[in-house]
Amino acid sequence: MGRGIYSAAAALGALAVATGASGAGSATPGVTPTSIVIGGTIPLSGVASAYQTVGKGAAAYFRYVNDHGGVFHRKITYLIKDDQYDPSQTIQKTRELVEQDHVFAIFNSLGTEQNQATRPYLNAQGVPQLFVASGAGTWGKDYKQWPWTIGYQPNYLAEGTIYGRYIAKTAPKSKIGVLYQSDGYGNELLAGLKRGLGKKAKLIVSKQSYDATDSDVQSQIAKLKAAHANTMMLFSTPLFTIQAYNYSRKLGWRPKVYVNAVSSASNIMGIATNATDKKQTEGSISIVFLKDPTDPRWKNDPGIKLYRSIMKKYKGVQPNDVYNVYGMSVAHTFVEALKKAGRSPTRTSIMKAVTHLNVHNDPFLLPGIVVRTTATDRFPLDQARLERYHNGRWVSFGGLFRIR
Amino acid sequence: MRRALGMSLWVAMVSAGLAVFLFLPHFVSDFHSRDLAQAGAFFIAIIGLDLLTGYTGQISLGHGALMAIGGYTTAALIVHEHWRDVWTIPLAGIAAGIVGFVVGLPALRLSGLYLALATFALAVAMPSLIKKFSGLTGGSQGLQFLESSPSQVTGLSGKVTVFGHTMTQNHFLYYLTWSIGIVGLGVAWLVVRGRGGRTFRSVRDSEIAAVSSGVNLAWTKTFAFALSGVYAGVAGALYAIQTEIVNPLSFTVSISILLLVGAVVGGLGSLSGLVLGALFVEYLPTLSTHVSTREGVPDFIYGAAIIVVMILLPTGAGGLLRRLARPLTTWLYTRP
Repeated sequence: MGRGIYSAAAALGALAVATGASGAGSATPGVTPTSIVIGGTIPLSGVASAYQTVGKGAAAYFRYVNDHGGVFHRKITYLIKDDQYDPSQTIQKTRELVEQDHVFAIFNSLGTEQNQATRPYLNAQGVPQLFVASGAGTWGKDYKQWPWTIGYQPNYLAEGTIYGRYIAKTAPKSKIGVLYQSDGYGNELLAGLKRGLGKKAKLIVSKQSYDATDSDVQSQIAKLKAAHANTMMLFSTPLFTIQAYNYSRKLGWRPKVYVNAVSSASNIMGIATNATDKKQTEGSISIVFLKDPTDPRWKNDPGIKLYRSIMKKYKGVQPNDVYNVYGMSVAHTFVEALKKAGRSPTRTSIMKAVTHLNVHNDPFLLPGIVVRTTATDRFPLDQARLERYHNGRWVSFGGLFRIR
Repeated sequence: MRRALGMSLWVAMVSAGLAVFLFLPHFVSDFHSRDLAQAGAFFIAIIGLDLLTGYTGQISLGHGALMAIGGYTTAALIVHEHWRDVWTIPLAGIAAGIVGFVVGLPALRLSGLYLALATFALAVAMPSLIKKFSGLTGGSQGLQFLESSPSQVTGLSGKVTVFGHTMTQNHFLYYLTWSIGIVGLGVAWLVVRGRGGRTFRSVRDSEIAAVSSGVNLAWTKTFAFALSGVYAGVAGALYAIQTEIVNPLSFTVSISILLLVGAVVGGLGSLSGLVLGALFVEYLPTLSTHVSTREGVPDFIYGAAIIVVMILLPTGAGGLLRRLARPLTTWLYTRP
């Protein structure tokens, strides 16, 4: 740590100049013989705070792993910073994690714009940006430009394609109205929908966008209804999804609803049902890749039993919230990657590990789903099933399919 | 004799302040100098607000909007015109100064609370206005300039070379911001110490008395608004350069209120305590989360701290400094 000579130009207003910077340490940041420090940003408050359990579920799983000896006797410390879903705060908080807390890697940071904002910085610094909590295609696609970045969940374009294909096949006379968030996330789902509809893309009678910073989507829903749509696509985050159900009921409008996976958690649907009535949410369709803790099918499933015991022991919040399950799944994958990265993990070896995943035993994913990556295939999760909301809960139907 | 002593004390204090400015980054972590740089941006905006609200008596709850003008000017010039980031700062100041001048026009008819509400409306409307002109401003996604221009002074390398000396980016931002801040403080001092300051204060204390003494009310008010806007614009530009991104969420109503809090804590109508006001605004939110991160607790502590400061220091940090120094100044400047 060679501290250089500080020379200063003292004239008022002149820039002082300092030479000398701390030399780069040879040890891997964030890794000691007994601990490993990672961190990420999660909207604990603000418009997208419904996603906070994505971080809290992961944190609970790490505590469980730590109490069972950690990984190679290292305890995992997972620092969560609140960025309020504001990309400028994501940058600051991420810098803080890297430069002040000296994290080994950024893990599970949430949001498309948010992670795009920090990606150039993290890649320039050579800090792994692991399992980005966003379904944008860019995390898996653009690895040549951004080698230190990888996503996790099924991507939005593929999800939209599935809905499009399903509609084209099962209801080719639909009149589709789309509500979508006017950013990368909403646009990718919309593009996927068009791709899936193929020649039937003209079934879309109205597209209404909203802004993540808007207060409500009342006028958008009214316009969809006015366009005589009988099918509504909700490519929106939880708050706006609930509003969409609510406003359509107020307008006396009951379309067939397709709700994207980021808002189809049972607790969100429960709120939407309570805010309206059973008929409004009945028959909604979504995709699923996680075990839903409210689904009675999994009542005696070892994965959900483990989930419940972790939630109980580490005082998790909202145990019926499927985003907790998501958090545990991504944490499980990180632990598996860390085991693969060897006894003395480095940033290079963890990147190698996360791009050579083949995890069959994730207890939180639907049976049969494999977390698989290769150096050129960087979509860890690319399998899902369709599900239908019936009598207040999701029922999956059809087989497991690969979404691309 | 005592005058000479007073002068040398004054010089000593200024040099001590400069020494703190020069060497502070070397006593804190590299990342921390980035926090300090952000406090510096607040400092500049607060000086401007103090000139307007503290000296001229025009309450503004819309300074966040003026900062937004500065920040977006900088971002747009970098992203669309590929300017070097530091050279956009003067232009950002001028742009916000012009907007400040225009905002000052209603101030000729409105006063007190009504003016505060009018400026507040500007702050509330600004995020929507920004989204409206999405071609220029990037809409709700904002403009990010880290990616688009790797040759920038605050580029990705983490190092900046100025006049042949290389320093870390965080140190550079600190020195850049606080150098401008010190120049800004000097300019403000020159403005308020003589006739200008008397004019400002006369408008604040009684408009009728000021007019009957020959003060041009319209000119004084709009000039104060424009000058204050220049400070806010420069602050907004620096803030944007530090965060490397601007979006509508960067400049919300809360930043306008935060600046007023900073000016009040620093001491309205004096310049000496404004640094403390800026540090208060920068660090209290973080400090309050250290007490407890439970929901609502940091906000509560933050609010309570402001109330406590207001009860104990009704004239702000500037007033406290004045009170502490009074025995000394009285001794120095009264003839025996």
